[in-house]
Amino acid sequence: MEKSNQEVLDQDLQEEGQFVVDDVSKIIKDAIETVIGGNAYSQNKVNDWTTSVVECCTSELTKLMKPYKYIVTCTIMQKNGAGLHTASSCYWDNNTDGSCTVRWENKTMFCIVSVYGLAI
Amino acid sequence: MDVTYAYQKKRSEFGKQCLFSDKGPELIDNFASNKKFLHNYIIKDPVSRTTLCAPIQAEHHLNTTRAEYVNGAMNHVEGGWPKDVNTADEEQTKRYRRKVEKDEGFHHTVMQLCRNMENCILQNNAINIYQQYFSDVEPTPLVERSSARTVNVYQDQSIPTRPVTHISWSPDNQTKLAISHCDLTFQAKVPDQSTRSYIWQVERISSFLISENPNTPLHTLRPEHPIVCLEYNQKDPNSLVSGQFNGQVAVWDTRKGHEPVELSVIENSYRDPVHNVLWINSKSGTEWDTRKMSEPTETLILDISKEDQSMSNALGASCLEYETTIPTRFMVGTEQGKVISCNRKGKTPMEKMTFKFSAHFGPVLALQRNPAFLKNFLTVGDWTARIWSEDCRESSIMWTSFHRALLTDGAWSPTRFTYPNLLYRIFYHVLSRLSVFFTTRSDGILDVWDILQQQKQACLGVKVCDEPLRCLRTHEMGRLVAVGNQKGTTYLVEFSENLSMINKNDKMLLTAMFERESKREKILEARNREIRLKQRAKSSHMNLNMDEGGEGEVYQGIKKSEDGEIMFTDNNVVQAEAEFYLCIEQETKANLPPEEAEEEEEEGEDLQHDQLLDDTEGESPGSSAPSPEPDKDGKKKKGKGKGGKQKEK
Repeated sequence: MEKSNQEVLDQDLQEEGQFVVDDVSKIIKDAIETVIGGNAYSQNKVNDWTTSVVECCTSELTKLMKPYKYIVTCTIMQKNGAGLHTASSCYWDNNTDGSCTVRWENKTMFCIVSVYGLAI
Repeated sequence: MDVTYAYQKKRSEFGKQCLFSDKGPELIDNFASNKKFLHNYIIKDPVSRTTLCAPIQAEHHLNTTRAEYVNGAMNHVEGGWPKDVNTADEEQTKRYRRKVEKDEGFHHTVMQLCRNMENCILQNNAINIYQQYFSDVEPTPLVERSSARTVNVYQDQSIPTRPVTHISWSPDNQTKLAISHCDLTFQAKVPDQSTRSYIWQVERISSFLISENPNTPLHTLRPEHPIVCLEYNQKDPNSLVSGQFNGQVAVWDTRKGHEPVELSVIENSYRDPVHNVLWINSKSGTEWDTRKMSEPTETLILDISKEDQSMSNALGASCLEYETTIPTRFMVGTEQGKVISCNRKGKTPMEKMTFKFSAHFGPVLALQRNPAFLKNFLTVGDWTARIWSEDCRESSIMWTSFHRALLTDGAWSPTRFTYPNLLYRIFYHVLSRLSVFFTTRSDGILDVWDILQQQKQACLGVKVCDEPLRCLRTHEMGRLVAVGNQKGTTYLVEFSENLSMINKNDKMLLTAMFERESKREKILEARNREIRLKQRAKSSHMNLNMDEGGEGEVYQGIKKSEDGEIMFTDNNVVQAEAEFYLCIEQETKANLPPEEAEEEEEEGEDLQHDQLLDDTEGESPGSSAPSPEPDKDGKKKKGKGKGGKQKEK
């Protein structure tokens, strides 16, 4: 069944208008793997890591070419027995907007990256 | 990162209302703390912790490699001869030298070496930082105002104080000041007046003169009679000559105590107070030979009348002028206001007294040649100061207006040392202005005149004291002037630099000014002479006729003219007319003898132009204003002449 041009465009727009969580979580995971990988926790490098992770994510997200604004946060924590509790809440358009959080860890640290996508 | 991003949207969705709703709260992460790790903690107590707000800085040292200096010397002897040339043999060296000079590279090498050599030589030469680099640019004139300040005061040490009569600077850098005190009041009651005069030390510190001790004199001169004038020998700072009140002349040596070394014999001395003495160029003293004090080497009776010289006709001299650069000439100012220019080489008194100038109404109190323009001299007397040129004998070339107070003394600013070097000039303030002269007034004011700046009034008047100033002497450096007053106090006055520094064009301008003024006076003189000549010729002609011609001739004349224009029929009328003219003629002759007429003319002129004429006035009134007067006279005489002619007829 062939779709008219209009329908294709509509489909595109429909897709475009969605925050696809899977794509985003993949982007985040890749970013963390490339930046941190198997490195052990190091106080001096944490600053660089967080900024590179965040920048890596945003650049990849813009490559999706979607009409979205993104908010990216990154938290890196050393594994030394301390506890951590974080939560988020949003007030947005539930139809279009969405969020994705990835929790990644290796032997020495936790890395929590959240992305919030807000449709324009 | 991309900066621009284009996206598509349905038109209907533009500006669509946002339908927001709450989401969450949702837990992002939650993991509990590990109790096991707690045991690993060691509590550190106390903990020292420092914080720093200022940016962290680091200190670094670095040093460039030091330049090492070495003192070296080299003695270069002519050398570098090839082995086969025997340096002792002049022929060989000469030949070799010629060979080298012919070499092609020789000129080139010399040229190259010259540049280096010149550089080295120039480095050794000192740099004149005061050099004027641009010859076409005028040095900026000083804007500072003329000013003067009293540097020091020297009091007469004896009581009652006596007026200062004369001041003299010592020749050795002018560090000493000889001041003579004497009361010259005619027939004044002087019961126990001190006869002492003093020498003061003026110490020189850098370019300023500061008196070491203004309270006690360096040396005291104790003559038997008061000293009227005191003069340092310009060659020897220890010897002085003085003129006493009783007419004696004394020679002093400061090394030999307080009494005079030699004294002229009273019989051969002057009969009145000696007003002025000067040292002349040779080894002998003024009119007196210091080696033989018993009688003067040469005596000159100042009698300007042409008859035989006698003391009864002599004029009283009041001041002397002697310029060392023209040793055979000297000038005398007299108490009668005349200035006589004399020549020592003359045989007869008339030859000795070459020129006479009638300068002032009263005594000539100061007389000085301009140190740079020897032909021009300054006289001070009565109420005016006058500048004369030797070429114009009838009138001064410039003169000041009549002051309210009597003038007492005057002098040119000195220009003895003419160091051409600019550095010297700055150091010593030596080249003083040629156009400046100083006058002292009897109301205590010291006037400074700069005839290049303004001629109508003094460019600076300093009220030195309330008493009349008596005399003045300039320091050779030009900035200091010593003035003495009636109360016996001497003031050392220092003037600002602009009154003592010479400008580049001063000499030129002053030459031009003197020349112009003398030319003007010469023209006037010539004109006056012409008029006088005419007058004299006419009057003598007339007298001749009058002497020869009796009534008969007059009669005849008329008869002769009867054929001509004038017809007198009645003899009585003719006779009456002739008598009338005769009367007039005699009367005019009685009233105005020709010489007196001259003088009156001159005086009238002086009063008319009783101020120094400046540039614009200099030409016009000189040529126009005085001429109408003599013209009138001339016309009168002409009228008389006509009368005479008529009589003839």
